[in-house]
Amino acid sequence: MNVETNNNLKLTIALAALENVIDPEIQLNIVDLGLVYEINFNDKEKLIHCRMTLTTQFCPMGESIQSETEQTLKNTFPGEDVIVELTFDPPWNHERISEEGKKFLC
Amino acid sequence: MIKSSTTTHYSAVVPFYVYAALCFLISSVILFYNHKNFTGPYFQPSILALTHLMALGWGTMIILGASHQLIPVLIERSLFSEKLAYLSFATAATGIPLLVYNFYYFHLGLGAQAGGILINIAVLTFLVNFIMSIANDKNDNIHSIFIFTAGLWLLITTLFGLLLLFNFTSNILPSGSLTYLSLHAHFGIAGWFLLLIIGVASRLIPMFLISKYTNKPLLKIIFYLINAGLLFFIFNFNFELNLTFIPIVFISVAVVLFIFYCYKTYSERIRKKVDNPVKLSLSSVVISVIPIIILCTTLGFKQHQNVVAYGFCIFFGWITSIILGMTFKTLPFIIWNKAYKNNRVKGNNLDPKNLFSQLNFNFMFIAYLAAFIIFITGIFLLSNLLLQTGAFFMIIAAIFYNLNVFKMVSHKVK
Repeated sequence: MNVETNNNLKLTIALAALENVIDPEIQLNIVDLGLVYEINFNDKEKLIHCRMTLTTQFCPMGESIQSETEQTLKNTFPGEDVIVELTFDPPWNHERISEEGKKFLC
Repeated sequence: MIKSSTTTHYSAVVPFYVYAALCFLISSVILFYNHKNFTGPYFQPSILALTHLMALGWGTMIILGASHQLIPVLIERSLFSEKLAYLSFATAATGIPLLVYNFYYFHLGLGAQAGGILINIAVLTFLVNFIMSIANDKNDNIHSIFIFTAGLWLLITTLFGLLLLFNFTSNILPSGSLTYLSLHAHFGIAGWFLLLIIGVASRLIPMFLISKYTNKPLLKIIFYLINAGLLFFIFNFNFELNLTFIPIVFISVAVVLFIFYCYKTYSERIRKKVDNPVKLSLSSVVISVIPIIILCTTLGFKQHQNVVAYGFCIFFGWITSIILGMTFKTLPFIIWNKAYKNNRVKGNNLDPKNLFSQLNFNFMFIAYLAAFIIFITGIFLLSNLLLQTGAFFMIIAAIFYNLNVFKMVSHKVK
């Protein structure tokens, strides 16, 4: 798991919250699944920018995961705007799954 | 910014699933009441009707429904028109019973012809919708190519079928319609079902198993082998070359390569816990070998029960097992998205896999396997008792399948 950020303290809080966002098919949270690429915090504009992916562009649950990620960050950081950007560059691959995630899937 | 997959409205998808589920139940009942016909020659009104109900009402309807859902996620664009999806459903849903009812009573006149025309309109509508959806798409997506080509073969199958239907009453073709039945059947079996199932399963199975294995070149080889086999089959038929074994070898090699693809996908999976719907879908990959073995045997012996067993293995074996499995990996997500997409964080809600009863699924799974094994044994042993018992278990499997489908489509947010 390697998530880029400009604020490590806030990132820790955000990732702890995002561990509650579960991929409904795999039943694993999006952090251990390695779907979150980057979360940046713009304190001046009160804006959180999250760049994430899905296990596949074919994921029918994509909209749901994206909206739940957005809602979770809004709830964790009240008063801040949240943009969740979906990217497939680079595409997700199994190497992004954390050790805890791999244990869960076995 | 990339938008997440644009899903088709559930109302353009769910009716196909419901209709197909009912057709599976009706087919099982027809199988039960006509089980004795499976010891005789294959060209009988009840078998003709049953084959078309299974191929169109069950297999094709569910594939069209699932395709309306899958196309947007395959090509990352909205479906061109949901109205065309409704039109496709309405025309197919009217045409199929017209055709099947008239086949059952062997009335090959106006009613059956009207049914055939409506089915062709449904297929054409689906294809137009698909072509318009992928227009200007520059992605070299092997799965889209499989689906598109399968759709073309479906149109060829249904147009040719319509021609054969008119030929029964008007002598349009040089020979009688029965001469061309094997062409019509294999356009549908290999061109439509095989290409479509491989195209979709080669994407979905690795996705559900989270597999490290990918092999696009192998999928391309499979694609060329099936199409070359079909084209050679036409060539062989047209010029009476007596080289039927060549297309059989081409298509058999394609199936074996796909089994290899699935095996590698399975063995290199990260997700070790495999759920029952995926297990059932994988079992269909194994079942796909049985018709090929029967076909090879038929080449040598030409026994009529081989032909009947071949058809049964394809429609009630291979196609049914993959649909029974994949329904529970697609429909729960469609229903779940409809119910919880926008209110998931508000609290306590179900996971997609909890939208249907696991107990019903297990009963369905066991009843289906029993039905398939007993019925196929009954065909070879010419045993009415085994045929009747097998058909009875097929009805049980269809009832449990329907219970789960209706449980899902009637789900309400609590």
